[in-house]
Amino acid sequence: MTKFKGTREAYAAALMDMAEDRKDIVLISPDSLKAMRAVDFGEKYPDRYVECGIAEQGAVDTAAGLASAGLTPFVGTYAGFLTMRACEQMRTFVGYTNLNVKFVGVNSGLLGGEREGVTHQFYEDLAVVSSLPNYTIYTPADPAQCYHAVKKAAEVDGPVYIRAGSGREVEVYDVDAPFAESGVTVWKEYGTDAVLFSSGFVLDRVLAAADLLKEQGVNVTVADINILYGEDPTQILEVMAKSDQLFTVEDHNINGGLGSYISRLACEHKPAFVTRIALTTYGESGPAKELADDYGFSPEAIAQKVRDTLKK
Amino acid sequence: MTKEQLHEIAQKLRLEAVRMVYEGKDGHPGPALSIADIVATLYFDVMNVDPKNPEWEDRDRFIVSKGHSCPIVYAALNERGYFEPKVEHFQLRALHSIFQGHPSMHSTPGIDMTSGSLGNGIAIGAGMAYAAKYLKKDYYTYVIVGDGELQEGVCWEGANTATGRKLDNLIVFVDRNGWQSYKTVDFTVGMNDVADRFRAFGWDVQEINGHDYDAIKGAIAQAKSVKGQPHCIVCDCIKGKGLSFMENNNAWHKGVPTDEQYAQAVKELGGAQS
Repeated sequence: MTKFKGTREAYAAALMDMAEDRKDIVLISPDSLKAMRAVDFGEKYPDRYVECGIAEQGAVDTAAGLASAGLTPFVGTYAGFLTMRACEQMRTFVGYTNLNVKFVGVNSGLLGGEREGVTHQFYEDLAVVSSLPNYTIYTPADPAQCYHAVKKAAEVDGPVYIRAGSGREVEVYDVDAPFAESGVTVWKEYGTDAVLFSSGFVLDRVLAAADLLKEQGVNVTVADINILYGEDPTQILEVMAKSDQLFTVEDHNINGGLGSYISRLACEHKPAFVTRIALTTYGESGPAKELADDYGFSPEAIAQKVRDTLKK
Repeated sequence: MTKEQLHEIAQKLRLEAVRMVYEGKDGHPGPALSIADIVATLYFDVMNVDPKNPEWEDRDRFIVSKGHSCPIVYAALNERGYFEPKVEHFQLRALHSIFQGHPSMHSTPGIDMTSGSLGNGIAIGAGMAYAAKYLKKDYYTYVIVGDGELQEGVCWEGANTATGRKLDNLIVFVDRNGWQSYKTVDFTVGMNDVADRFRAFGWDVQEINGHDYDAIKGAIAQAKSVKGQPHCIVCDCIKGKGLSFMENNNAWHKGVPTDEQYAQAVKELGGAQS
């Protein structure tokens, strides 16, 4: 395994590790080679690095053309420039056509965009992609999981969207832990007063909130959702069945992401109270930790929300 | 194939396209007739394809980026033998028909790429062309775009990629018929100087009469002799070409012929009334 430090480095490392055996893998860059930490890939495999310039719609189209000829293109850049600027290309020429294009959207969420500000923070990407049939959606929680998610995406027949951050993520998973096929990884089982579901890079905060709650006499279960809107939610439903009080925590708009997914599963399978901790506004610039804390993702704020809800 | 033979085929395709719209009671006949001669030349003289094996990986690729012109492509595929048995009534735009309102690659054998959302064909074609280079295949990728369609910014994103990646196996035809949905292209963009615009993007550019089979064939041969640049063949075309009541009449951008108009089409295009 090529060594990596952050999430974007994990993406590049996974591509490098697959490239030797998988000649079908090509890298599409809307001038994102540097941002995606993939300069080494471009230098080692110049004929497999397709530069499309600062032009995401064209880059997604070009990826569709490459995929139609049997190749497996990876397109990585800022999450919103893919899912919003090139949304229609992702829908019509990759989703509808069910072509084998893999997308990695970085700078997702407040944590991903942090100091860059609202133009580079994307908390709507999952809402967009979750409404596109044929897409598989992975939400890795840390760099190691991103590495495994990228490798797993290469095995999927059809389009994949991987939601990634920018490098401020706290390492939680063991570096060798595989990407969960079931779509869920249970982290804490202190009790069943509530189940806290986490999506993506807030996992360390949710785990800390669970510890706080335990000290305060509230014993919860914590699960990381690895795959959103997957084909088989059986194991997610099993975790949901542990409590009538479900909480979702995600660095995404309150609509269209994890909270919507768990609410839907609760509606369709087992009624439960679902409290969604998520964004309802645009963000702003700031250091990652301070920003996330300020917008309600501190362990204390999460724990407080859980306690207040359970008291009602 | 001689130009007389190509003309005969093109006229037949025109009538099929008009019949498709007439029977289906919906569609875009004018834009379809505009490119009939280019499509006939490609499918019956130029492209290396195998109708019995539409997924053949070495085949030449074709994208009708102005996807609303698809009736003429469906007619060409039918005439070329992609469908067994040959289609008699297309059921264009009907529920569950393989002939969707705009081309869908998984619905219709022989359609290499979904299209209809304007502007995307050049960038997608660039991907196909790049794949040929990487896979060391000698197929060509042909794309037909409309002159109005070129107002879409993504066309020029694809144009940049094709130049930057030196995709000399990509040949784009511009159907310069001068019209778009509402008014003329000149009205919209000031001047319809397509050739200069592509030259400015570093393309190898030719300008021809889009209804002259020898000119179309000659331009393709010439394009293939120029290395290191993508190719643009600007084709002066007449929207609705071949039918007196449709030619240069933009009311036929989208429209359905009446019984009398269809009878007139049969007469003018040399077909037999079935």
